Amino acid sequence: MTAVSPAPFAPAAWLKQTGRAWRRPAMLAAALTVADVLPAIGFAAGLALGIDQFGRSPIAAAPWLALAAASLIARGLLNQAGVAVGARQGRAVKRDVRERLLTDLFGRGRRSGGRLAAVVEGVESLDGYYARFTPLRLAAGLSPLLIIAAAAVASPVAAAILLFTLLPFVLGMILAGTAAAGESRRQFQALERLSGLFVDRVRALPAVLAFGATDRVTAEIATASNELEHRTARVMRIAFASSAVLEFFSALSVALIAVYCGFNLLRLLPFPVPETLDLGRAFFVLALAPEVYQPLRRLAAAYHDRQAAEGAAPALTTPDETKPVRLTLGDTAPSIRFLAVSIAYDGAAPVIDGLDLDVRPGQVVALVGASGAGKSSLLHLLLGLSPLTAGAVEIGGVRLGDGVDLSGQIAWASQAPVVVPGSLARNVALADPTACPGRVKAAAQTAGLTGDLERLIDERGGGLSGGERRRLGLARAMLKRAPILLLDEPTANLDPASEQAMLETIREAARGRTTLIATHSAAVAALADRVVRL
Amino acid sequence: MSRRSTGRVAALIATQRQAQRRRLRLAAAAGAVVSVAAVGLLGLSGWFITGAAFAGAAGGLAVQSFNYLTPSAIIRLLAILRTGARYVERVAGHEAALKALARLRPQLFHALASAPPECALALSSGDASARLVQDVDAVQTVFVRLSAPWALGAGVAASVLLAAMATPLAALVLLGAMGLTWGGAAVIAHRRAEPAGRAAQAAVARLKDSLSALEAVAPELKAYALDGWAAQQVAEAAAVRDRALIDQAQAGGWMAAWQAGVTGLAVAAVVPATHGAPLPLTALAALAAIMGLESLAGLIGALHQNGAAAEAQDRLDDLLPDEAPRVRAAPHDETVRLAALATDLSPPARLGLFGASGAGKTTLIERLIGLRTAPEGEARLGGVDIADLAPDARRALFAYAAQDVRLMDGTIRQNLALAGPADEAAIWRALDDAALAQRVRADPLGLDAPVGVNGERLSGGERRRLGLARAYLRDAPWLVLDEPTEGLDAATEAQVLAALTRRLSERGQGLILISHRLAPMAACHIRLRIEGVDADGRVRMTRQVEPAPADA
Repeated sequence: MTAVSPAPFAPAAWLKQTGRAWRRPAMLAAALTVADVLPAIGFAAGLALGIDQFGRSPIAAAPWLALAAASLIARGLLNQAGVAVGARQGRAVKRDVRERLLTDLFGRGRRSGGRLAAVVEGVESLDGYYARFTPLRLAAGLSPLLIIAAAAVASPVAAAILLFTLLPFVLGMILAGTAAAGESRRQFQALERLSGLFVDRVRALPAVLAFGATDRVTAEIATASNELEHRTARVMRIAFASSAVLEFFSALSVALIAVYCGFNLLRLLPFPVPETLDLGRAFFVLALAPEVYQPLRRLAAAYHDRQAAEGAAPALTTPDETKPVRLTLGDTAPSIRFLAVSIAYDGAAPVIDGLDLDVRPGQVVALVGASGAGKSSLLHLLLGLSPLTAGAVEIGGVRLGDGVDLSGQIAWASQAPVVVPGSLARNVALADPTACPGRVKAAAQTAGLTGDLERLIDERGGGLSGGERRRLGLARAMLKRAPILLLDEPTANLDPASEQAMLETIREAARGRTTLIATHSAAVAALADRVVRL
Repeated sequence: MSRRSTGRVAALIATQRQAQRRRLRLAAAAGAVVSVAAVGLLGLSGWFITGAAFAGAAGGLAVQSFNYLTPSAIIRLLAILRTGARYVERVAGHEAALKALARLRPQLFHALASAPPECALALSSGDASARLVQDVDAVQTVFVRLSAPWALGAGVAASVLLAAMATPLAALVLLGAMGLTWGGAAVIAHRRAEPAGRAAQAAVARLKDSLSALEAVAPELKAYALDGWAAQQVAEAAAVRDRALIDQAQAGGWMAAWQAGVTGLAVAAVVPATHGAPLPLTALAALAAIMGLESLAGLIGALHQNGAAAEAQDRLDDLLPDEAPRVRAAPHDETVRLAALATDLSPPARLGLFGASGAGKTTLIERLIGLRTAPEGEARLGGVDIADLAPDARRALFAYAAQDVRLMDGTIRQNLALAGPADEAAIWRALDDAALAQRVRADPLGLDAPVGVNGERLSGGERRRLGLARAYLRDAPWLVLDEPTEGLDAATEAQVLAALTRRLSERGQGLILISHRLAPMAACHIRLRIEGVDADGRVRMTRQVEPAPADA
């Protein structure tokens, strides 16, 4: 495969691309936000004319005040509709991105603890972007101009003043926007680090406690926590500074309009203007002045959402999916051939170098060797968990490679079977959720798991001794009907008597399946058809 | 879940509030200034224009006597004040919140770690992460919104005052409208926003829990073709959270709609209520009413976030134990006495434990070390029953290499550093004694090679030996090893055992060893067979005089 240098990642483009499937709800949300202009104008008109008429007669003001009240009510309802549509759009995009991330995460079949923050915190940040930020973007461009146009109907000069205060602001925002991007990325990384640190140290808590290292680990967490605080503070400062600029121009516009209108009404303007105002029109323009900036202020408030999403975006990408072809082996035990196989992790020296091994169908092969010799690595090769740096592996004559994997065809008892919180029966049934409880019970008993199958085990495997965890792995391997059986140190942690009892079970489990057993025990090696020393 | 407002977390939050009080006071003052300035800016502008309209219409003398300089100056001043004060309020408020949270997180971790072992070790890592990240974040609003009452009070006072300048009736109408806004918002918050907020917090914890539990077993899930199922499980947990967030957002939308609606009606009511007052004051009252009701926004925002914050605080409270720990004794010396032994054991004695798997060997030593609560009468340390000893007092006596080794996601050096600071020579000696030095030297990064999440880059035997090297680096009277040579071939086992005995005699350390194998047991002076756990929770054991049963 030729290496192609990837194009530099552009978060904004990725975010746009990701939301493409939901353009219609997005446009609806944007339209609802722009439509907010109408009640705003209605309110300003109702208030201005109401006050104007009130000076003459209270009754005449009534319809205008009613218009003002109705406008605000309509505004509230429009806003609520916009929130609802936006929220649903946010959820739809999140669901899609999360599904891709999870399929990739679990599809790899490898531990990737560092990516947990992406699935939770990273995806959450998309909510603000799609639900709040994108609908406001169109409105921020269009609404101020619409309002200024409405103001121009009453007073062109006032409209010009509003336009005058608008333009420099827009230029300033463009400049400020670019500064925040890098900070957001760093903030998200700090959040990832902190989140990952917590998970890791809490998982290792028994060791931390045993070594009396609580204070030291607490200090580590304090450092990461402070780092997050610094980064977040920096992002916030930029956000607040840009919104302060916005606030300033907004307040300035109100002040300028007030002064201009007042002086115009007093006929005291030092320069000639092509209009003379009356109270109604002046008030209308004054009431509209804050509305010019309202969409921009809302956008600025949502700007943080955009930065957060752009900061998280690099972590949310998944490589293009190549659907792996699952090799179906049927029920007959296949042959397994290792041809000049080498396994090396991450540029270190190879753990296995140029191994040739031919396993006949249904044969039981024991792999023995010193710790670190590569026994587990060889088993992991069939599971796609260790990298094949040279050579090839053939199953039943079919070469394993990119896009071809064996998942679902292997019964595997790993060295450290991991438990999911739940009952013991549930843990055994993990290997085959379609199995009926009777089979689950039978598998558990054959593996030597005694006691109440419904007893609860926590994430740390509390409730199971080391030997029982091995038996759990074995029970899973026996429950799963698969033509290949892989056992990784099946009798480790078992006392000699239990090991003897286990031998018969292993022999039974290996019947009719091609079996590879990694072991140190001579007793287990003795029941194999062939012993290979690594 | 019960509400405990006087829990430990509330105390920690109060301490942080105290620590940040200067910033919080600044934020509160600035918030008040913002409200007054906002009310004043718009209200005064309306008054000014209306007054100018009348004066202009009257012409001549009225214009001359109209004081236009002062109001226009005040208007410009208020514009600047509002902007500056808003910036100060937000920066001060958020910085106070961020700094407080940064202090709170390590304190919570420390409190969790110091809790009795059955609390501390019972929490799953995903759930712990949710509490320490998401729940602490939700508590953030508790700090940020501390300035809200001041902003609210100042805004209400300013706007009501200005309305009163028109007629007292207008002020009353305005107050009534404010009460109505607050009341309606509170009802919507209570019925919609609060349950949704609580649900969202609980859901994110379940999501993280499910995700981290399944991610840990990802290889097996893949092997059993269950990766699709696992992704589905997590997606379902996430969907619950999504639903709760939508509910919360919609509740917020309704609260804002209520506020807007009441504002509209309030303006329509205030204007007629100013009947009899000059029109400029009517304008002043109307615009002041609008901005006054606007200043309720902070309070409404706080009501919106209340549910999530309260739930977060409850969950954090659950994390920490309620009762103050009993004042406990410390061991007088290093002697260990177990139920089956006639005498106390002191270093350099060597005790071997063996028995069927599941009998309770690991349980027993975890109780000794303080990783598990012990029943009374099981063992004595330094003459004191271990049930009466504080867990951390016991741990100083032991250097423990567990069977289920827990490694941190870092380098070999970092993991060894858990035992405390050590110089290079000591580190390499420990690695040599654990038969791991050659493997570490073979790696191009050496001691700085990363071990992966829980040591996944090392083989099973290598992880166990790293745990052993780590225990070697800890200076303690007793060395406790749980199956140290499991998975090693005979030659390496002999090497490790020779190094072990040499180390023990050099340092005068005592040894407590669990093993099935013959060679390690041969090194022990006293052997105990562990038979099982009795109904009363105590581990049953008998002393063995002959050597342990032979193994392969």
